[in-house]
Amino acid sequence: MSFAVAIEGVTKRFADHVAVDSISFEVPRGVVYGVLGPNGAGKSTTLRMINDIIAPDGGTIRILDTLAPGRDAAPKIGYLPEERGLYPKMRVAEMIAFMGELRGMSARDAKARAGAWLERLGLSKWARNKVQDLSKGMQQKVQFAACAIHDPELLILDEPWSGLDPINAEVLRDVVAEQKKAGRTILFSTHQMEQAEKICDEVCIIARGKKVLEGGLVELKRAAQKDGLVAIGFADDQARAKAAAVIADRSIVAAERPPRHGDTADMEVELAPGATVDGLLAALVGAGASVRRFEVVVPTLHQIFVDRVGAENAIVAERSPS
Amino acid sequence: MTGWLVIAKREFLERVRTKWFAITTAIGPIFMIALLVVPVLLARLGGTTKLAVVDHSGQMADSLRRTLPASDWEITIRTDDPTEASLLAEIRDKKIDGFLVIPKDALEQGEIVYQGDNATAQVPMAKLQFAVMISRMGAIKHLSPEDIAKLLSVNFSTKHTTGEAASASGGATFALGYIVMFILYLAIVLYGVNVMRSVVTEKTSRVVELMIAATKPRALMLGKIVGVGAVGVVQILAWFAMAIALIVFREPILGLFGLHGGINLPPLSMTDGVVILVDFVLGYFFYASLYAAVGAMVSSDQEAQQAQTPITMLLVLTIICVQLVANDPRATGPAILTLVPFSSPILMPMRWLLGGATGMDVALSFSILAASTWLVAMASARIFRVGILMYGKRPSMRELGRWLRYR
Repeated sequence: MSFAVAIEGVTKRFADHVAVDSISFEVPRGVVYGVLGPNGAGKSTTLRMINDIIAPDGGTIRILDTLAPGRDAAPKIGYLPEERGLYPKMRVAEMIAFMGELRGMSARDAKARAGAWLERLGLSKWARNKVQDLSKGMQQKVQFAACAIHDPELLILDEPWSGLDPINAEVLRDVVAEQKKAGRTILFSTHQMEQAEKICDEVCIIARGKKVLEGGLVELKRAAQKDGLVAIGFADDQARAKAAAVIADRSIVAAERPPRHGDTADMEVELAPGATVDGLLAALVGAGASVRRFEVVVPTLHQIFVDRVGAENAIVAERSPS
Repeated sequence: MTGWLVIAKREFLERVRTKWFAITTAIGPIFMIALLVVPVLLARLGGTTKLAVVDHSGQMADSLRRTLPASDWEITIRTDDPTEASLLAEIRDKKIDGFLVIPKDALEQGEIVYQGDNATAQVPMAKLQFAVMISRMGAIKHLSPEDIAKLLSVNFSTKHTTGEAASASGGATFALGYIVMFILYLAIVLYGVNVMRSVVTEKTSRVVELMIAATKPRALMLGKIVGVGAVGVVQILAWFAMAIALIVFREPILGLFGLHGGINLPPLSMTDGVVILVDFVLGYFFYASLYAAVGAMVSSDQEAQQAQTPITMLLVLTIICVQLVANDPRATGPAILTLVPFSSPILMPMRWLLGGATGMDVALSFSILAASTWLVAMASARIFRVGILMYGKRPSMRELGRWLRYR
């Protein structure tokens, strides 16, 4: 199989703490791949090593199957770092074209592509303004254009949603989807699980420098799904009253709990051992309780993350002072 | 195009397009015109000194008045025998600038004393001392001051030569050496600091990681140094072109101010030009690398101001030593100073122009400077590579040492 990025046993130590501890994962070509983890998990360090900004202490990194990080790989990668800025006094179009030239484009190509990107992002009339004249949201779009101008096969985005408002977050998701459709591979890191859930094909969850979980989003969810958990919403109070006997029947329902925050269900129930989802539904219908919603609960990425990383890990994961 | 060239191009264009560049390039010649015109103007000005002379010997006052030019000296010969206290009071009241007391035994070894508010002024005091000498000599030998002036007027001049080209006047060569040294110093500091600020901007605008991902830190540093240096070379060449035009059209320009004369600069040979250019390029690279490393160590402009102190010290030390080279370019001190890499790029062209250095000296100085520039650039590149991605606390000396050893 062909991989956009394959890293194996990569380790990075800083002074007296291990930022990345023997991590391995593979990013197939043409997918949107999320590296997820709490702050300080080692996400940025990993992406920086792929971009040859820092060198790993051990392990190997392969880009587009054959390339090592560095000079040969650089023209094929677009990288949006977490700490991203632009030259404030440079003109917008020149800034974007400059990054293209740095990635190996000719001056003329870079200029033409910069114009095309500005058009795509609705910033054409700002092309001759200085970067410092733009609003923060506009600057973020320019940053994205600057990192993707050379049409790289692999886009690496470090915490791309941090600081974006919902509208711009949507724009970014659209652009990512567009790039995927065009056959590019997108590798990004985030700690915002909701964002990842909306666009990821595959994820790798890391914490404290170690890999916790890896796989396709759908498979992961399916694996984490508990068949025995059902969310129920009743048509009205009358229906709820009619259902009370079924819910209280300990041969069908083992436990009952209130719905999650913001959920439209009235309750979640856990099936008793031996009971089935079909059986529960049949019992409810038989009792004459009209059901508005009946759904086997699929865990969100956030829940999987919290379950696997552990609530404690999600909060702490401190860097030791260097 | 390779990374460093793209970066150099950007740095160059961003600077050349600014008003700042246009202004400093234009101000250069204005500064040079001032250099040409102001000394001539100043020589014409200069106030008069109100001098009271109390002559107890009775033999010198009159010839003093005839020796000191009336345009500069307003002399009153006091016969009312004033006390020192009353004369001091007159100085306080600004009635006189100073007074000269000539004792009875002045023609033997009696002390002649001048007291005045301008006693620290070098040129007037030298003239006064000269006039006192002539007057005393005349009184002893019974000669008029005019006769003595005639005896003293000798047609004597110094001409500077290294035994090769046609010689120019010593004073003009000295002035040229000074001007070249000063321009080199100014250019190295100006553009070196410019590199440092450019590196700091890289960090404060947080653009650096974007850059480092696209190219290597070494290319970033090299690109910045070359780009800013190219601006310097363009500006200096423009200045030199204007300076040559100024020297060629010296008389018409002075004529505009109703003046003539001024400093007569000797022509520069091609060899001189090469020495100056090589020293600028190497010296600039030497200092710009250091400045780049300092820029990479800090996180803000304010911090950079403090952190650059060691470099400033090297430059100040060099400027303090200029006088040594000026006094005797052939002595051992200047010979050492023009070999030491931190002072040689600024002092060598001066020593060369003043005729203190042979071709061998220059070749040796260039070799040492080139080698140490290479070493400094390599060390700075290592510091730069680590520092450029660091924010927050400035590194201690020990941490710097560790950065130098990183793989």
